[in-house]
Amino acid sequence: MTVKPKRTSFFSKLVVSCTLIAFMIFVIIPTFYLISYVFIRWDEVWREVFANPIIGDENWKQIIKVLLFSFRLSISTVAFDLIFGIPLAYVLARKRFPGKSLLEDLVTLPLVMPTSGFGFATLITWTTVAGLGGLLGLRSGLLSLNAVMPFINVPVVLFIVHIALTFPYVVRTLETKIQSIDMTYEIASRTLGASSLTTFRNILFPLALPGIFSGAVLAFARSLGETGATLIVSGVSTTASIAIVRWTSEFKLSTAAFMGSLLVIIAWTIILPAEIYVSRGRRSSGLSLHLPVNLTRRMVELEKLISRKLYFIKDIVPLIIVVVTVIIPIAVVLNSVILYWSADPYTGKIEGGVVYQLFGPSNYFSSLLNATLTSIIVAIVSTYIATCISIPVSFIIERRWYGRIIRTILKVPLIIPTSSLGLSVLLLWGSSGLNLVNSGIWMIILTHIVFSVPVIVESIIAAYEGSGIQMYEESARTLGATAYNAIEAVSLPLIKGGIFTGFILSFTRSLGETGATFIVMGRDVTIPVLVVNMVEALAIPAALFTSTYLIILSLVMLAIVRIFTGR
Amino acid sequence: MPLVRLVNVTKRFGKIVALDGINLSIKDGEYVCILGPTGAGKTTLLRIIAGLLEPDEGEIYIGEKRVNGVPPEERNAVYMFQNFALFPHMNVWQNVSFGPVIKEWSPQKIRNVTSEVLGMVRLGERRDAYPNELSGGMQQRVALARGIAAGARILLLDEPFGALDARLRVNLRTQLRSLVKDQGLTTIHVTHDQEEALMVADRIVILREGRIEQIGSPQEIYNNPQSIFVMSFVGGANFIDGVVSNMDNSGSTVEIRGRLYIRVSDTTKKIGERVVVAVRREDVSLGKSRRRDFNNLVGEVEDAMFVGGSMEYMVRLENGMSISSRILLEGGSKVFRKGDIVIVSFHPDECRVFPYPERGLLKEIEAI
Repeated sequence: MTVKPKRTSFFSKLVVSCTLIAFMIFVIIPTFYLISYVFIRWDEVWREVFANPIIGDENWKQIIKVLLFSFRLSISTVAFDLIFGIPLAYVLARKRFPGKSLLEDLVTLPLVMPTSGFGFATLITWTTVAGLGGLLGLRSGLLSLNAVMPFINVPVVLFIVHIALTFPYVVRTLETKIQSIDMTYEIASRTLGASSLTTFRNILFPLALPGIFSGAVLAFARSLGETGATLIVSGVSTTASIAIVRWTSEFKLSTAAFMGSLLVIIAWTIILPAEIYVSRGRRSSGLSLHLPVNLTRRMVELEKLISRKLYFIKDIVPLIIVVVTVIIPIAVVLNSVILYWSADPYTGKIEGGVVYQLFGPSNYFSSLLNATLTSIIVAIVSTYIATCISIPVSFIIERRWYGRIIRTILKVPLIIPTSSLGLSVLLLWGSSGLNLVNSGIWMIILTHIVFSVPVIVESIIAAYEGSGIQMYEESARTLGATAYNAIEAVSLPLIKGGIFTGFILSFTRSLGETGATFIVMGRDVTIPVLVVNMVEALAIPAALFTSTYLIILSLVMLAIVRIFTGR
Repeated sequence: MPLVRLVNVTKRFGKIVALDGINLSIKDGEYVCILGPTGAGKTTLLRIIAGLLEPDEGEIYIGEKRVNGVPPEERNAVYMFQNFALFPHMNVWQNVSFGPVIKEWSPQKIRNVTSEVLGMVRLGERRDAYPNELSGGMQQRVALARGIAAGARILLLDEPFGALDARLRVNLRTQLRSLVKDQGLTTIHVTHDQEEALMVADRIVILREGRIEQIGSPQEIYNNPQSIFVMSFVGGANFIDGVVSNMDNSGSTVEIRGRLYIRVSDTTKKIGERVVVAVRREDVSLGKSRRRDFNNLVGEVEDAMFVGGSMEYMVRLENGMSISSRILLEGGSKVFRKGDIVIVSFHPDECRVFPYPERGLLKEIEAI
């Protein structure tokens, strides 16, 4: 620990307290306000949710139904992600092959892609004649929007979208984790006679368990909170996050707030044990220790067989998943834009063409320009403010005893559904709360700051912990630099890359966010929201164009990240 | 007048006492090695002098000034980390001029000082290189130059050669020492490598479990170790457990396992006292015949190793104990093989006798 000299301690106290105050106002209070709102207005909540004079506890039944559906969807998504994500992560972490970085990019793409655009692409691909149905020579889409997966009873298209959007969390988190595990353990195990699968089960799996855990938590939270794509492909089903959007727009604020706070609490109960588990770095001793020797031997035999004969499953199947869930939808959208450019290719009507819808009477082009302007202002301002808060907060997290607590709290806005975050901000700052900000662009900015700070902080901390800053700073101190000088001349330049990566990540996230924006936007529309609006207005060609536009925008972002992080 | 003085310095981390009442004075221009096993509190001591840690008790003086609570930047004590901590985002010139720039000297003065110091460490040519483009030796010189340019009076080295390979270490040791001595810097050098300490230090401080075990010149430490721990840690020796059975004017007799007797010159112990007799390996000779006035024990060569210039033998005595011997190979000296029966001889004057340690002999010589 660095000694804080007396003279500068006043200054450093000032900086720390200012940071903490800004952090409270912009991040913590908006995150947790929803819960206190429910407590403060419990009477109202009770009357609306449990004892409505007209419909009784119908709203409560709705909440239960929606939550159950959401959980079924999220849990099955995560299970699927894990089954196919673990092998893919292993391959990406351990093997070198041509096209590897391309594959990594493809897996990451849904992370940076505005989800409403992506949801729309998936919708087109699976349920319309312009997509796979047409390719296979059918007269209709391959699937009906309401076709249901057997056993888990969730709509197929919804399931596909959720897999595409959550897959990167599992794969990339686990890939990083596996890379950090020394390869010599595996080599030792192999040379001691274990097959690759046995090695995985006994060596890599237990060591990578914290990574699997945190990847699964992130994927689960993402699936639970996803709004943009879900709004477009959900059909008749309702997930928790879109229920919040819907109920807010129907002014059933108490019901929405109550379910939102339930989600915050659930998010907490998921993160806390996971955090504790991961931070303890406890190592599970593999599954074989609890099995009888006989069974273990049979298992090892079986694994040897599988390792030899069925190795292609682990290589090929995840690849197919990526192609089917990510590449095909994007390709279909790009293709459709071209097909629909001047007129509907099936009916020949120019009213069904992209050009007519953009520049014709509905004039979607000017809406798109306005939305672009709004989106970019929101992204720049909110990311800038979030960065200004995140840099000192990261330093506090690394250097103060309460840093761990702040870091854990910061996981909450990262994983609770953004729509309940938006609701929280609306209730706090809006007319039914402090009445300081009206719905609109400024409230969108306030909301985006809440989830941008954790993104940037995580990225700064990664850079901070990877660069041995404490040692460099101590060196600088003994060379005559004051604490302030050392931070300015040594620490900040060293974590510059982390700050920049965080900035871009949060910028893209802000650009693509739908759920919270829907709730707080008032009359200012951002691009992802515009896509949803277009789909609801059945202006499909316009939606096609806007989705393409979004996808290209996010590809540019990804390219920028790659250039600057040099990865 | 000592330059650095520590009075009763104590530091705890939770329940662990890292430093326990350290008293130490270091003269201006002296090169002091702090030697001790891992976990002895060496780095803690160094960080306390640098001002990166504050002691829980005790006082630190640099020159006349008490520096408790004075921040590191005002102590003129430059800390050099194991990997030198050259700022990776700055080139050699920027690294070396870091101190002068931070202290806001005039541009003219910054230029002069930096190029002078860089010339001193013969790195004027590499001023535009980045740390990752330099060899380990060059990095070390840059780190040193950076410290000198910052106006360091005291250099604090934390295992400065730990990250380098064995051959480079030996070269850099002497190079560093002569550079530092030329500059008249006071150096405190932490290491767990006894060979390194013996080679470079003016004075060695042996630290163990937060306490100073012995302070002295390398010769004093080696020739006159004050404890079993010091003797074992610096140089190593054979330690034989026994009881004083007889004593006269010229020395005493110690009975060891298997009713064997060793004659020692020491007369300070009492009859019946449990003691440990220690003999350096190089003081033990092997031969075919008994030597007069020596202790002579019979044994079988268990292991013979050629270590370049000398032979190391492990001999099992008839009472079951093992004793090791290092014999310089000179022209005509006989080389024994495994299985040879030999007479092990050592002179009573070469035997040091220590009281049997409270916590057992093993505790004093293990884990080094």
